[in-house]
Amino acid sequence: MIKKRILLIEDEVDMVYALTLHLEAMHYEVLSATDGQIGLDMARKEKPDLIILDLMLPKIDGYRVCRMLKFDEKYKKIPIIMFTARVQEHDKKLGQEVGADAYITKPFDAQVLLNKISALLKEH
Amino acid sequence: MKKTTRITEPKHMEFVELKNKYQLLKDLMDFIPDVIYFKDVKGKFIMVNQAHAVGLGVKPEALVGKTDFDLFSRDRAIKMIEDDANVMSTGKPIIDKVERATRTDGVDNYVSTTKIPRYDHKGKVIGLIGITRDITRRMQFERLRKDKNSIQKKLESLEEVSAMKSEFISAVSHELRTPLAVIKQLVTIVFNEVVGRVNYKQKGALQKTLDNVERLKKIIDDLLDVSRIERNTLKLHYSLVDVVDLLKDSASFFTQLAAEKNISLKYSYPKEPVNVFIDVDRIRQVISNLISNAIKFTMDGGMIKVEVKILEAKVRIGVIDTGIGISNADLPSIFNKFIQVSKLAGTDNKGVGLGLSISKKLVERHKGEIWVESKVGVGSRFYFTLLRFYTLDMLGKSLRDRVGKLIKSGVSMHFVSLLILNCNEFRKRMRIGSKPLFKDLHAILDSVLKNVKSKDIDKRAMSVISPQAGKFSIILPEVSNRQAANISRLLKYKIKQYFASNKVQDIFITVGSLSYSQKVFSHDDGLSPSRFSIKEIYIGSEMRRFKRMSFKTNIKLFLPEEKVELSESVDVSIGGVCLVIKRLLKTDSQLKLSFVFPENKEVIIVAKVRVAWIRKIDLLFGEDAGKYKVGLEFINLKNEYKKIISRRLAKTT
Repeated sequence: MIKKRILLIEDEVDMVYALTLHLEAMHYEVLSATDGQIGLDMARKEKPDLIILDLMLPKIDGYRVCRMLKFDEKYKKIPIIMFTARVQEHDKKLGQEVGADAYITKPFDAQVLLNKISALLKEH
Repeated sequence: MKKTTRITEPKHMEFVELKNKYQLLKDLMDFIPDVIYFKDVKGKFIMVNQAHAVGLGVKPEALVGKTDFDLFSRDRAIKMIEDDANVMSTGKPIIDKVERATRTDGVDNYVSTTKIPRYDHKGKVIGLIGITRDITRRMQFERLRKDKNSIQKKLESLEEVSAMKSEFISAVSHELRTPLAVIKQLVTIVFNEVVGRVNYKQKGALQKTLDNVERLKKIIDDLLDVSRIERNTLKLHYSLVDVVDLLKDSASFFTQLAAEKNISLKYSYPKEPVNVFIDVDRIRQVISNLISNAIKFTMDGGMIKVEVKILEAKVRIGVIDTGIGISNADLPSIFNKFIQVSKLAGTDNKGVGLGLSISKKLVERHKGEIWVESKVGVGSRFYFTLLRFYTLDMLGKSLRDRVGKLIKSGVSMHFVSLLILNCNEFRKRMRIGSKPLFKDLHAILDSVLKNVKSKDIDKRAMSVISPQAGKFSIILPEVSNRQAANISRLLKYKIKQYFASNKVQDIFITVGSLSYSQKVFSHDDGLSPSRFSIKEIYIGSEMRRFKRMSFKTNIKLFLPEEKVELSESVDVSIGGVCLVIKRLLKTDSQLKLSFVFPENKEVIIVAKVRVAWIRKIDLLFGEDAGKYKVGLEFINLKNEYKKIISRRLAKTT
C-alpha cells in the first residue's frame, strides 16, 4: 500500500516535530514547511494528499495559502485542514470562506485531528 | 417775592434730588448682601451697612465709632488693621483678597475683601471704604469642579490601565497557547506509546501531566474570555436550542463526576420544551461552571440538584448544593474577578476564580440574571435566567426549497416572521372564516410591501401566511436590516389596526427577524444584510406572553416578621410585577403585596406572589448599589384583580 502524503505547513518547529511523530505513527508520510511561501511551493510541486495549514505563518499567511490553492483548478481538490491557536468564531468563518475543509484549534486533541485526516482522505 | 420764589424753587429741587440720591445709596447699602463699611484713619467705623450689622447681630448705628478690635478676635483684628494701614499709607487698594474666616457662629467660610482709600478734596487720605463678600459657595463650587476634574482624570487613566491590562492578558494568553499545544502533543505521544513502551508508573505521571495541561489550558481560556469581555470583543453566535437538551448533553458527564465524590446529582426538567435563543457554547460554559463548582465545594455524600423552572417570560436554571456554602462576607464579591470561594481545608481549590465572573458577564450578555443564595454549612443556590423564545417551524417545505435556491445562488436575504398570538380566538370573536382572514391578511401584506419603496423590494420576495396559526413568514432578498425592520414594524401596525377595526383590542403580535448572527438583533447598523445558510434558519422572538406597563405608585411588600418594604416604581403584567427594592429576597419564597393604580386609588390590589428572579443592581466598577430588581409572579391572582389589571393594560399601547 502506498503511504498517503501529508504536507504540514507550520512555523512552530516543535509542533512540526510533535505532529510528525503522531502522523508517522499512523503510517502517513509527512512533508513539512515552516513558512507560507515554501509551503505553497511544496504543495504545488509535491501535490500531497492532504495539507495541514497553520493560520499565522511568516511570508504568506495561512488564509492566502489556502485561497491560492483552493482557487486553482489544479490543486483545489487537495483537502486542507486549517490549524490555529485562535478560537474566535470569526476566524473559523474566514477559514471556511477561503475554502478550508476543516478547522482545528490549538491546543487540540491528537485523536480529533487524526480522525479528521482519515475522514477527509476517505472522502477524496 | 418773585425773586425769593425764583431762588427757593431750585433749592427745593436740589433738596429733593439729593434726597433721592441719598435714598438710592441707602437702598444699595441696605439691600446688598455684601458687607460695606467706611472707616476713618484711626480704623473707627464711620458708617456700616445693614449686612455688616446683621452679620454681627447688631444695629448699624451700634457699630459707629467701634474698631475691628471690638468686633473680631485679636489676631484677626491685627491683620485687618495692618491691611487698612497699608491701603491708607500707600494709596494702593486691595482688591478681591480671598481669606478664610470663621464666622461668629463658628462656621468656617471664605470671604473676598476689597479696600479702597478715601481722600478729601485736598488729596489727603481720610479713611477707607471696605467691601467684604461671602464667597464660601463659590469656593465650594470651585473645589467641587477641581475634584471632579481630578476624578475624571483618574477614571480616564484607570480605564487606560484596564485596557492595557486586558490587551496584555490577551497577548500573553495567545503566546502561552502555542508552547502549551506542543507540550500536550508531545506528552500525548509518549503516553500513547507512539515512541516506545511506557511503564505503569510512568503512565501515571504522564496522566497527571496531561491533567495539569488541561487545567492550564482552562485558565488560559478563562483569561482570554475575561480580556475579550473587557475589551468588548467577545462575539456571541446565537442559535435556537431547548435548554433541557443543553443540560442533558452534559448530564451523564457530571453525574459520573459527582458519583466519583459520592455526591448524588439530580436533574429535574419541565415536561415541555423550553426554547432559548443563545450562544450554545457560552451557556454550556456557564452551566458547566456552576455544576463543577457545586461538585467542587460539596463534600462526599452531599447532594446537588439542577432544576429548570419556567417563568413568565424567562426560564430559570438553578444549581442547588449541600456544599460548604459561602460566608456573608464573601457573598457580595462572589461574581467579581479573581475571587476564589472560601479556602476551607479539605476542598481542592482549582482555577483562578474567573469562572463566576465570566458566567455573570455571559448571562448578562444574554439579557439574563444571575444570583446566588448561600449559607455556610448548609449549601449554595446559584440561579440564572434566560429569555424564552417563541419558536415555530415557520418555514414550510416549499418555502424552504425556495430559500435554499436563493442561498445557493448567493443571494442574501432577510427573513421576517410574525406571529399573532391567540389568532384562533380572535377569528372566532370576529366571526370570520380562515379564507376571508387569509385574504385580508394577504392584502395587508401586499399593501405593506408596496408601501416600502417598491423598487427596493426584490421580485423574489415571497411570503407564506397561515391564518389558522396566525403565522406570517416573509422572505426579503437583498434588503437592508433597516428595510426589513421597517417592513415588520409596518406590518405589525397594520395588522393591529385591522383587528382593532374589527373590535378585537388586546391583540398581541410578536415579530421575529432572522439571523444567526447578533447583528440583526442589535438593530444597529441597518446597512448590510447578513447572510445565513439554510440549516441555521430558526425563528425566534422574545417570549413576552403578557403585555406589561410601568408606572409610579406605592407598592407594599409584606415580608415575614411583619416587616413592610415599599417601592415606588412597578412594572405590571397579568403574570406578575417587577420592581426595585432594597431588601434581598429569597428565590421562590412567597409573600404578599398590595398596590393601587394611580388613577384608581379606591381599588387596592392585593396578591400573593412568588420570587421568580433577582438582579443585583451594580454601580460603576461593580460597586454594590444595595438595590435589587426582582421579578415577582402572581400566585392565584383573584379574578376581580385580573380584570382590573387587564382592563388597565388594554388602555396602554
